[in-house]
Order: sequence, then C-alpha cells, then structure tokens
Amino acid sequence: MKIWKKGSMDKTGSLSLLVVIGVIMAGLFAPLLAPHDPLAVQMSLRYAGPSWEYLLGNDQLGRCILSRLIYGIRPSVLAVLVVLLFSVLIGAVLGFAAGYFRGRIDTWIMRICDVVLSFPGYVMTLAIVGILGVGLENILIAFVLTKWAWFARVIRTSVLQYTEQDYIRFARATGMRHGQIIRRHVIPVTFADIAVVASSSIGAMILQISGFSFLGLGIQAPQAEWGMMLNEAREVMFTRPEMMLPPGMAIVIVVSAFHFLADSLQVALDPRLRQSGVQHDRQPEHKEVPVRL
Amino acid sequence: MGMYMIRRIVFAIPLLWAISLLTFVLINLSPMDPAVVVLQAQGVPVITDELIARTQQQLGLDQPFLVRYIHWMADCLQLNFGNSYITGQSVWLLLGPALVNTLRLTLVSAVSIIIVSVVLGVICALQAGRLLDRSMRMLAFILTAVPSYGLAALLIWYFSVRLDWLPTSGMESYRSYILPVLIITISYAGLYFRNVRSSMLSNLNKDYVLYGRASGLPERTITLHILRNSLQVAVSIFCMAIPIILGSTVVVENVFAWPGLGSLSVRAILSRDFPVIQAYVLILAVSFVIFNAISDMINAAINPKLRNGL
Amino acid sequence: MPKQIPLLLLLMLMAATVLSACSPAGQSAANTTASAHNNELIYATAKDINDMNPHLYAGSMPAQGIVYESLVENTSEGIKPLLASSWDISKDGKVYTFHLREDVKFHDGEPFNAEAVKQNIDAVQHNKEKHAWIKLSTKITDCKVIDEYTVQLTLSEPYYPTLSELSMTRPYVFLSPKDFKNGETMNGVSGYHGTGPYVLTAHEPEQSATFEANTSYWNGTPAIRKITAKVLPAGETTFLALQKGEVNFAFTDDRGADSMDVEAMKQLEASGDYRIVRSESMNTKMIVVNSSRSGSPVSGKAVREALWHAVDRKTISRDIMGGTETAANTLFSSNVNYADIPLTQRSYDLTKAGTLLESAGWKMDPASGIRSKNGTPLTMTLYYDSNSSSQKIQAELIQSAAATVGMQLKLTGEESASIANRRATGEYDLLFNQTWGLAYDPQSTIAGFTSGSAYLHTTQGIPQAKELYSKIDQVMTSLDEAKRKSLYADILNIVHDEAVFIPVTNGNITVVAPSNLQNISFKQTQYELPFESMSFQ
Repeated sequence: MKIWKKGSMDKTGSLSLLVVIGVIMAGLFAPLLAPHDPLAVQMSLRYAGPSWEYLLGNDQLGRCILSRLIYGIRPSVLAVLVVLLFSVLIGAVLGFAAGYFRGRIDTWIMRICDVVLSFPGYVMTLAIVGILGVGLENILIAFVLTKWAWFARVIRTSVLQYTEQDYIRFARATGMRHGQIIRRHVIPVTFADIAVVASSSIGAMILQISGFSFLGLGIQAPQAEWGMMLNEAREVMFTRPEMMLPPGMAIVIVVSAFHFLADSLQVALDPRLRQSGVQHDRQPEHKEVPVRL
Repeated sequence: MGMYMIRRIVFAIPLLWAISLLTFVLINLSPMDPAVVVLQAQGVPVITDELIARTQQQLGLDQPFLVRYIHWMADCLQLNFGNSYITGQSVWLLLGPALVNTLRLTLVSAVSIIIVSVVLGVICALQAGRLLDRSMRMLAFILTAVPSYGLAALLIWYFSVRLDWLPTSGMESYRSYILPVLIITISYAGLYFRNVRSSMLSNLNKDYVLYGRASGLPERTITLHILRNSLQVAVSIFCMAIPIILGSTVVVENVFAWPGLGSLSVRAILSRDFPVIQAYVLILAVSFVIFNAISDMINAAINPKLRNGL
Repeated sequence: MPKQIPLLLLLMLMAATVLSACSPAGQSAANTTASAHNNELIYATAKDINDMNPHLYAGSMPAQGIVYESLVENTSEGIKPLLASSWDISKDGKVYTFHLREDVKFHDGEPFNAEAVKQNIDAVQHNKEKHAWIKLSTKITDCKVIDEYTVQLTLSEPYYPTLSELSMTRPYVFLSPKDFKNGETMNGVSGYHGTGPYVLTAHEPEQSATFEANTSYWNGTPAIRKITAKVLPAGETTFLALQKGEVNFAFTDDRGADSMDVEAMKQLEASGDYRIVRSESMNTKMIVVNSSRSGSPVSGKAVREALWHAVDRKTISRDIMGGTETAANTLFSSNVNYADIPLTQRSYDLTKAGTLLESAGWKMDPASGIRSKNGTPLTMTLYYDSNSSSQKIQAELIQSAAATVGMQLKLTGEESASIANRRATGEYDLLFNQTWGLAYDPQSTIAGFTSGSAYLHTTQGIPQAKELYSKIDQVMTSLDEAKRKSLYADILNIVHDEAVFIPVTNGNITVVAPSNLQNISFKQTQYELPFESMSFQ
C-alpha cells in the first residue's frame, strides 16, 4: 500500500491500474453506463453499423454491442475477481495456519495442496462442467477448487519467511495472542506477495473463461460475455469481420492491462528487484504456470 | 540420484491414488443414474423402476462405495473404461488414438516454445534494459493477452486462404502442424522467455562471469559459458511445459479440427457422454502426474541442488 | 564436461521422439487439396461417420445411405423397386413376397440372395426393443426363404406403411452376412459391406472416411468415383475449407443443421466456384414440448399455446434464414399426405400470449418480470443443437419475445446426439427438432408419437393421450382409405389443439456444390443424398 503512495510504480503500471479500475467501475455501474438494454432484441437493426445511437453497432439480433460489452465485464472480469477473492481467502486461511503453526497442520495442508495441484486445473474444470453441466457457475466453482491450493502455498512460504523475523519472535515471546500477531504483523507484510500472485493470474483466468464460453461450455445465451460475443462474431467473420473487433479488443486491452499491472506490482513490491539496476523477473516459486486456453 | 528417483516415484503413487478417488467421486456426482443410462444405451423403450433396480443389481450399483471403487479401479487398470453412450464403441479405442495425436501436437509445440523462448530470452538478456528488451517484453505481454481462438481464426484466414500456404484444419501432413503450433507457441513463449531471460541475467552477474571478464577471456567464451548454464533452464522449461500444454490444447484443437483429446472431450461434454468424460479426466490427470514426475527427475539430474527439495 | 553428455543425449532423444511423432502423419502430404481432383467429392461434416452398422443408430445416415440399400425405394411417385424387383401382397395384407434382383453382390463378393435377406431381417428382429420406433418391427412375425431369390415376410396384422418403412435408410437394409458376429449384428459387426453404389474403403475416426465407387454396382458404376467425408467444425472452418478447396461439398446434416449461415453460402455462390441447390420443403422444423414433464410449466396447455404465439416465424424466415425457409404454422405442411385439413392458425401475437397466461393463473411478478403460479416460476429450458448457428439465433429471438410476456426461457446448446437422448428420456422442457421428411411424414412421425425413443414424452402428458394412441394404432392397421383420412385428421387436430409441437419453419436440404457438378437431386428423405446420380460437367 505504502509503495503506491511513494509513486514507485512505473508509468505503464499506473496506466494499467487506471484501465483496470475503469473497467471494474464500468462493470459495477453497467446499468448506469450502458446506453441500452443489452438484451433488447431489434431484428430491424440486425448487423447495423455504428450510429450515434448505437456507437459500436448492433449484433445478429440487433442488440446494442456497446451495452453488451459493458455488461459483459461482469462475467468476463468481475466474476474472475470474485473467484480470486474466494481462492485467496481459502488459500490465506490455510496458508497462514500452515505457515504460522507449522507441525502436523502444516504437513497435512501441504499434502492436500500437492494433490490438488497435481490435478491439472483445466482438466478439473472440464470434469466439473462435464458432470454438472455447462454454465458459468460451474466453471467458477472449478476455478476456486483448483486455485486455492496455489495461493495457500505461496502464502505459507511468505508467512514462513516473515515469522522467522525477529520482531515476530519478539511479539510471540511477549505473549501476544496468535490472532493479534497474525493481524498486526503477518498480514500486512504478506499482503504484497498475495497481491503479486493474484494479479498475475487474473489475465490467464479471464482468457480461460472466455475460452470456455467460446467452446460453448461457459455462459449461456442471452447473457453477454466477451468470449461468447467473439464466438458469435466468428460465425460471420468473413461476411462481417468488423464484428470481431469490439469483444476482441476488450479482451486484449483488459488482459494486457492486468499483465502490465502485475509486472509493475511485482517490481514495486519486491525490494530485491527494485535495487538491482535492471528489472528481473522473479523465478517462479512454484511450478504452476497460468494455463492458457 | 537413484534415491531421489525412488522418492519421486513413491511420491507420485498417493497422487495417482487420490486422482482415481477424486475421479470416481466425480462420476458419482453425475446427476444421471448409471443404471438408467445403461438401459438407455441399450435402447430399452420403457424404463420401469423395477428394471432400474434389476440393472443396478446387475451392475453392482447396490454394493457399498468401496467395493464399487475397487471394481472400477481394476477395470481402469486394464484400460477398460466402458463404452461410449453415444457411439457404443469402447472408450479406450476412442481415446487412445486421440491421446497420441494430442501428444504429437504437445511435443512439437514444446520444442517450438523452447527454441523461441531461448532465442528471445538470450537476446533480451544481452540487451537487458535497452529498447529492444523493453519492446520485446511489452510485445510478449500483449501477444499473451490475445485469445488464441481469435488469433487462430485470423492466421487461418491469412496463411491458409489468402496466401494458400497451409491447410486450414485437420492433421494431414507436417504442414498441418504449423499453425496450431504457432498459436500455442505464441501463447506460452511469452511466459517462458522471461524465465530464460532472468536466468541469463542472474548468470551474467555471477562471479565466474565477472572473473572471466576481468582476466581477459574473450567475450565469446563467456557467452558460451552463460549459454551452457542457461541450457539447464531451457530443459527444465521444456519438461514443465509438456504437461501444461498437454491439457490446454482444447481450444486450439477445436479451432483446427485436430483429432485429439481436446476436441474429443468438448464433444463428449456437449453430448453428455459420461464414460468418455470420465476416462478423459483420468487419463489426462495421470499423464499430468507422470510428466511432472519425469520433469522433476530430469531437473534434478541437471541441478543436484533440487534433489533435496522433496 | 561428462555431466553434459547425458543432457545432450536426453535432448537428442526428445528431438528424435518429436520427429518420429511427426513422420507418420507426414506421409499423406500429397492429397490435401480437393479441387484438383476430378470426379471426387469431399464433403464437410460436423460429425464423424461413426459406427456404420446399419442395424443400429450411431452411424451417419448420409454415409449409410450410399453403402447400404433397402428392398424398395420411396420416390415422389411412390414406392419403386430397388433390391427387390417386384413384390406381391396377400389379400389380407399380412404376407409380403419379394422377388429379388439376381445380379446383386455385396461389396465383399458375397451374393445377395433370399438367405442374406432373411439373416439380415432376423438380426434386426432379434434386437426388437431398439427398433420399437419403427412399428413394422413389432408386426413382423416371420421371414421365410422361398427360393434362392424369393423371400416372404409375414406380419401379425395388416400394416399399411410396411413398404415405406422397408424403404428407410435403416434398419431394414442389407449387410453382408460375413460381417455378422455370431450370426447377429446387435453386438457389433466385423465389416461394413453393403450392396450400395459406394464402398467404404478407409476410416480415420474423427478425421475422415473414404468411399469409392462400387465398380460392380448392379445399376452401373457411379460417375463420381470417390467421396470423402471430412470432419470439420461447422461455421467458418467449413467456409474456409470450401473457399480453399480442401472440401468441395457441404449439405444440411441428418439432424437439420446447416454447416454455414445463409450469408456465407451466398458469398461462396458469388465467387462462381460453387452453386447452392435447395430441395423443396422436406420437413417442418419445430420446437417439441415435453407435455409429460410434471412440475414443469410446459405440462400446461396455456403455456404451450402462449409459447406458440411468441414465435415470430416471419422474422425467422426472412431475417435469420434469409428467405430460404418459409414460415410453418402446422406440424405438417398441407402438401403432406392426409395433412391438408383446416386447423386454427396461431400467429405471432404477444398480447394473446399474455392473456392466455394470465387467464391460466400465471401471475406476473413485477420485480423479476417472470410469471409464476402457486410458487412455480414460469421458467423452461430450451435445448438447441450446438452445431447449428441458426438454431441458437432463433432460440434467442424466441427467448427475448417470451421474456416480454413473463416467460423465462433458458437456453442450452448440446450436441445433437445428446438432444436425441433427452428426447428419448424425457429430460427436457423444450427442444428443437424436425419432422422426419417426405418419405416418413405423416405416418412414421405419427407412429413416433407412441415410441419411447421419439415423441412419447411429448404426447403422453396431454389429457387425450389414450384416445390419441388408440387412433394411431387404428390408422396404421386400417386398410380403408376414407377411414384413415378421418383418423389422421383427428390425430392432427388433437396434437395441434394441445400445442405440443410448435412449428417454426419448413426446412429443406441445402447443398453447396462445385459449380460444374450436375444432376444434383434429392431423395424423399432428408437423411440421404443420391451421390450416385451426380456427375461433373
């Protein structure tokens, strides 16, 4: 937190942050921002080009593409953030428990993490969608089920790193309660690691969700979702190539913004990286590489 | 090293067991009664409760969970995954060839990824902080943000239709590999080349380099040394990439009509062909564990320090 | 240094694996483009040909149609000879005697004779439950060899659609008895040798299947020497492959899904390389309603009627189908036998739909915009074929119209096989479907009302179900034309009245073919194309 105030984030980072915040806001206030009802069908405007009333034109059912793009932020981006929040919460609780208390709790939690992480995320997602049926909710459930273990691990590592430090040993020795120590001393410092890890996986998750929608396994009509909009556009890509542009650009811009943001956060929050003259990429702490679909 | 391999293999066993259990539980979560499904597959026109009960008995579905699990395991170990609900064919006969096709695509892509990321990683490391490095990294970020299906459609249109160089889809000749491999490479090389770059960078700052420079060794010799050390990273990336690509070819396979596991699994999901879904999950998860174990072993062989990790 | 050696070996090993993995696929590099070949058609199909066993239902019907043949053929002029050159029907309508062609051989060289016919028909009858949808299977009691080329079929009672059911693409078609497993076909077969104009010569599952002209075909070797079915995802992949010449033929599949949208086809036609040929109206595309699903709003007649009024057929026909299909207001269009009867028309009328729902007790909840009755919300799921882009757009159009009167439709796209399964098990509220085509309408489609694998769930929830089924039984066995006419009128009136089949458009088969391909014609069924009569200019 402090680091942002110091302004140590580079320009790309700040710009990305602005884009990300803007998109999140647009998603939250979609009903206020969207010029039209995203579901309003008007066959007379089928595939109409951009006009003053419909800035990005209309789709195959004459619905306003701009409004659908704005409402599409909800399943495409906000849903990912919610999933991330849940995974971080579960991961944080277990990671803190493991790293702070050590011993048998630690061993057990880490074993479970190993098992979950050895079950590839995409296969888990396909399995859950295959058995519970297609739909966005099932994909989100699968995401939470697979992502938490990764966070638990990262958080445990960073907790371990900090609990070894003298001031926490001291706090423990003075008889501070566990909860207090975790709240006052451990959470603030591990927060940086969580932020870096979380932000770096958002981009891949957004792409995955849109990939599943693209395959017809994700969100179902008529709800607007970027991957599905892209899929609908793909069906007419040679007769109306311009239809690919709005959802395609939206995905590229938002995902790159998250990538750049994660990169800047990593540099800004990791003192080791800041000191050395050239930017390093941190070696992955864990083998999990965000899976692209 | 021998000890490490044994430990690594022993470690994989509980994982495999957990995967089988998890898969079995997942099947049991399926909303359809397996007995009803079997009756349907046999085309029985009117399914009565009595018939269901009888079939359940025949299939051993009335037995306790553990007994069913053991029977199921025994079948799976013999590659007997039952028959597809849709085509009635043996699931293994469907999945086996598809697995081979997916493995082919995966291996070729992994090789391509490793070449691209080593070349780019080395160039960027040598140019670290300069314009070329910065713009390469930025480009990598943007390219990895492009949804692969959108990119694929564009490339097919350009290379296959406009230029008429490559086939649009299918798996007919070596030329069929070019576009899918290119797409997968673009998606992943952006991630991996950063690893190569940073390992090169940390090598650049190491003592032997500084010493070599100080004692006047030719720059070429030093670069060769650095490259050799970075080769380790390359191999470890190669090993790590295989299991990850293996399961994430779903979209690419679907766009290019590649007759692999990815296409098969999506089709199975959309036709609610549970035996196929089940076997797909099991086979991929098992290959994932196996490839991971192999990759760990190779990494440990290269870098003895890692052997203590387990 | 020694450390590097294993590493190097390892890399070489990996490289070798990769190379060897590629090489088998590399061999067939030569035959990628289709356009260069004459007398060859390569058609795009979204689904593999699958199991070609003609006595089961997994295979692709157009593919089975060119490999196997039936005793008789259904044409626009009525039943014509095929493998049987003539036949006699006993006075009581129970005994059919077929005189077989004597110049027919199976693709494996086995002779086609009365014994082969008997073995095939027996094999089908041994798997009776599976064929229950085709009523003939419940009527055949015996199949007897009279002499080498004469065979006799005995029925338990007269059944007037016998010949037309024998003409169907399956199951009463003939496979070389050598391919049988233990004298049966129900547990799989060892080969796919029929008597048809084309021989299946190669099959790469999920990739392609190759059929070559049968040079000893009894009706002369077909002009098109080779047909390849190539599995391609529908939509722009097929479009690109056509544009590039990797495939040169595409047609509406056996479940009624077109591989491309209307505009893409027009673009291909405009290029001059392709021509588009459409058959006359073959069937009715419709939404099938599961009247027997208790707890679902669709079990109520008012909801079904309201839904009927919420389908804007004119817009679907004009905008979504680009004028290629006409709006349908009844289950069978009036040119179908026995179907030219007056039925009240339910037009696109949302006000009417709202009134119907209101008076049936479905009250609007202003907060959610969804009606409900006794706590049950007016929510239904409509299944569409995920390979058909037009079905999805139609579904969304209907969904949005229905929403304005407080009906919530959920849409789920699935593969056609899964939708067929749902139809058979009754796990659906609404699904897209089509009547079975000129050769099958109305008798077989109506017989399907009583069949579990077809429309039993659709029809059994209506109050007059018993009456309906008994009328169907009567009409099939009746030998009196006037009586049949009145029975059909009653049957069609009942299902129309109960609104269990909501018609949308009249469908046809669309063929995209090279512009120099001649003699493109259609059969009386939407499941097959007469490739054997086509030729290049």
